[in-house]
Amino acid sequence: MAVNRASVVDQNFLDAVGAMPIPALRHDLDSPVRPGAALTARETLDLFHSMVSSRILDFEARALKAKGQSFYTIGGSGHECNAAVAHATRHTDPAFLHYRSGGFFQHRASQVPGESPLFDVLLGMVGSADEPIAGGRHKVFGSLSLNIPPQTSTIASHLPKAMGAAFAIDRAKRLGVASLVPNDSITICTFGDASSNHSTATGAINAAVWGAWQNVPIPVLFVCEDNGMGISVNTPSGWVNAAYGHRPGLKYVNGDGLDIVDAVRAAREAADWVREHRKPAFLHLSLVRLLGHAGSDVEQLYQTLGQIEAKEARDPVLATARLLIENGWRSPAQVLSMYEDLRVRVHALGQEAVSRPKITTAEEVIEPLAPMDPEAIHAEAMRQGDPAAREAFWGPRLPEADRPRHLAMQLNRALGDALVKHPEMLIFGEDVAKKGGVYHVTANLAQKASVGRVFNTLLDEQSILGTALGAGQMGLLPVPEIQYLAYLHNAVDQLRGEAASLQYFSQRQFKNPMVMRMASYAYQKGFGGHFHNDNSVTSLRDIPGLVLASPSNGADAVAMLKTCIAAAKVDGAVVAFLEPIALYMTKDLHEDGDGLWTSTYDPQAEALPMGTAKTYGSGTDLTIISWANGLWMSLRVAERLRAQGVDARVVDLRWLAPMPEQDFLREAMATGKVLVVDETRKTGGVSEAIFTSLIEGGFKGEMRRVTGWDTFIPLGAAANLVLVQEEDIEKAALALHASDTAPVSTEKEG
Amino acid sequence: MRLFLLCPGRGSYGKAQLGTYQGPSAVLDQLDAFRAQLGRPTLREMDAAERHGARLHVAGENASILTFGATAYDIEALDPDKAQVVAVGGNSMGWYSALYAAGALELSEAARLIETMGQYQAKNVIGGQVLYPTVDSDWRPDAQLCAAVDAALDSEDVYLSIQLGGTAVLAGSREATRSLLASLPKLERGKRSYPVQLPLHSAFHTPLMSGTAERAREELADLALSGPRVPLVDGRGAVFHPWASPQEIFGWTLGAQVDHTYDFSATVQAGVGQFAPDAIVLPGPGDTLGASVAQALIEIGWRGLRDKADFAEAQKADTPLVISMARAEQRALVV
Repeated sequence: MAVNRASVVDQNFLDAVGAMPIPALRHDLDSPVRPGAALTARETLDLFHSMVSSRILDFEARALKAKGQSFYTIGGSGHECNAAVAHATRHTDPAFLHYRSGGFFQHRASQVPGESPLFDVLLGMVGSADEPIAGGRHKVFGSLSLNIPPQTSTIASHLPKAMGAAFAIDRAKRLGVASLVPNDSITICTFGDASSNHSTATGAINAAVWGAWQNVPIPVLFVCEDNGMGISVNTPSGWVNAAYGHRPGLKYVNGDGLDIVDAVRAAREAADWVREHRKPAFLHLSLVRLLGHAGSDVEQLYQTLGQIEAKEARDPVLATARLLIENGWRSPAQVLSMYEDLRVRVHALGQEAVSRPKITTAEEVIEPLAPMDPEAIHAEAMRQGDPAAREAFWGPRLPEADRPRHLAMQLNRALGDALVKHPEMLIFGEDVAKKGGVYHVTANLAQKASVGRVFNTLLDEQSILGTALGAGQMGLLPVPEIQYLAYLHNAVDQLRGEAASLQYFSQRQFKNPMVMRMASYAYQKGFGGHFHNDNSVTSLRDIPGLVLASPSNGADAVAMLKTCIAAAKVDGAVVAFLEPIALYMTKDLHEDGDGLWTSTYDPQAEALPMGTAKTYGSGTDLTIISWANGLWMSLRVAERLRAQGVDARVVDLRWLAPMPEQDFLREAMATGKVLVVDETRKTGGVSEAIFTSLIEGGFKGEMRRVTGWDTFIPLGAAANLVLVQEEDIEKAALALHASDTAPVSTEKEG
Repeated sequence: MRLFLLCPGRGSYGKAQLGTYQGPSAVLDQLDAFRAQLGRPTLREMDAAERHGARLHVAGENASILTFGATAYDIEALDPDKAQVVAVGGNSMGWYSALYAAGALELSEAARLIETMGQYQAKNVIGGQVLYPTVDSDWRPDAQLCAAVDAALDSEDVYLSIQLGGTAVLAGSREATRSLLASLPKLERGKRSYPVQLPLHSAFHTPLMSGTAERAREELADLALSGPRVPLVDGRGAVFHPWASPQEIFGWTLGAQVDHTYDFSATVQAGVGQFAPDAIVLPGPGDTLGASVAQALIEIGWRGLRDKADFAEAQKADTPLVISMARAEQRALVV
């Protein structure tokens, strides 16, 4: 049976300190802790207290786990010198921490009055609803008062937003708008050596140096806590230095993470450099991992006892104790007294934590995902921008004076008015500035808005969304653009794992509002192939709390965008705004020149509430449910059906989340026959949800659907072979009309 | 028993305390000699008075040292075999007592500090303090009362002096105090009516005291402070460990402590949240602080406390959560 290494490390400390000779005690605590050190004895004692706190918490996590009372044993043993980074930075510097940064967390909390960081961490370990940040939803390092946003950090997915937040601090300053932290703040981001290989890490660091290369201020301190291992796999010797030691635009500082004096020296050098130069730095702290990857990890399966013991001999907590004793600042008895005192405190606090309430209902679990405040959103959506500022932006000829125009133009105007109304709003993405986007939706906005508000990014979707996440967290209002729906899949975890989860893991204390616009779907008349015509929205549909808006025409788009931006502003909503590319420039509906797909821009148009559908016509023969391109085609088909004596009503969903279930159920009940026109794929497509909703809602009529095929989209005319066509809709509608399953009870039972 | 010791503030010594502190005590001997030397009433004289009177017991120049002496008398009485003090804090002037209790000040220096600050009050009351509850009669936070306090704090020259558990101690100039008494909704709670002004109290812990703080920093610049023997939890909930800088302790003691809000609730909450004591002990005339301590604990759900009834139940245990040394049966647990 494997030996419990926590007990070994604990006993090693007690034995080694107990055996140290008693020094002549010194009391001039403001002197260097050892000759030549910049760190004073007093500062070292503070740091040591934080380090021991973190260590003892690791022990207690395992003790509680053994009794079935704790659910998390990944710890920071061996990493405790990361407290040096907290020492070298300010508590107002946003810190995005990974799960081994316990020393940092304890030390930062010690710098802010009124904190109880031991207890808070214990509440997290036992999954108590009283835990102040996540309320028992995860064990994370997070705190509003300590400026530590919570995240799970297991796949380095927090690096892009750390980069984005750093960018936002200086961008807010440049724009003269308030951010949530002082102007000279930097952001800090900790991660392991193995995690430095994640694409999120390499991408975020690349984005930061890409900015630095062209003098865009991005004051982020990347802190790689290099213990040489990723769970059971060794990091190649020298790899982190080789990968990051010589990057252009990236200040690299190496520190001994087992020696608190050198760790502080390196952390100060790196942090001060970032703060002064407003450019990224990479702090590389070499340290060890003690007690294995987690409590359940049997390290002896992949490391020899000799290797494990060699690491344990380098224990940084013991090394710091030795530093204090050998230099006469503390006697061995005083050190052991502090250590044992913390053990007693942590154990007692652990018992209090165990007694605290747990989450007991599903409703409590999802409470942070609760519906937003529609009234406040509507009020904000209807608030008008300053007329003088509008005129300054648009010039004397305001957009509402223009003739009816298509979707792309109306989106452009809605975005322009939003820029006027929200000085803290940013628009960014690939090609959105001078070019105005591939489809000119953002045309001329960069020129009209003040410098720095509409800008091009590098070609990295993770970094675009990371910028949005960070900017939102810093109090700005980001409206990023993903150039094509297919490109999102490169970065969707930034929404799934990060943006959408922040309010959940912080009980709405932290928010990262954003309205992510995407040129979406297919039907580009042969252009582009799959990566410009992707028709799958499945990866977005099950993200808890994410708002999915998808207008089909300019008037709706204006009214929906207002609501989305207001929801981001008021409630921190994360919104995906799916714009049908093929309808961007569409002007006509039934025949050339009818202009039925254009509208006059109305800046005071009523904002559309989320989750509300629109019904076209009042036909009683059948109900067609669709949205976006499908809606446009369905309206054309409905006209042709009418000529054949079939009177259909057509429902535009407009919102894919929250879905307008009551609206389409009502319209379905009205005819008893439903045809869903779904331009996404047959498997996992939107029609599956509509069918399910109808059945669960009590609809007993007949249902059919036409969908895209389960395939990628080919080039040229071949695309039409696998996408829903008007003929398919017409054929299905006629067949449905002719079917004799009627009479059907369309009344909901009960 | 691991104890968090909380020293009471000025004004705690009331009628009930008269005659309590007549036993043998080296601490009182020293303090009485100190007062006698200054030609001021000694603590034992004041304690032996037949009646509790405003001039003798309530006025700052006497009340401060009296409260301190009574507190120190009880600290002296603690039995180290029964009572292991793991952290120390105080309320308002009780902070000075806490400095002594934690070993950051010797008795004579603590007396000098307290006497100096107390004498500043002699015939020199600046503004006033007004009490108003923020909890209901079950000691649960009351949104309406909190809103009334928030509204009052929006007025000119009104400050939050002390957050004293479920009581907001508001303070300001004489005019602001009068206005507070007139504008806060009247409220009966037990035998007391609110808002109520504390007699002969200045607007402590507000900017009105900045001059006093400055004078004290000059006149007490040589105060012999050292790092505490046990951790001190201050009126922000910050901890001074034994290796803390005496200059930092001095800076807070005669700086923000004097002219910024004293958050006693934060003291209580950080104390239990950091040190997890078995009990909180209130020395000297600290009995009246018990309710405030309990209310601060209820606010964070400590030991599952949700209201006054829960606290009353917890107090029935063999080791009550709050040990008041003014109560004989509780005192016996620690002396």
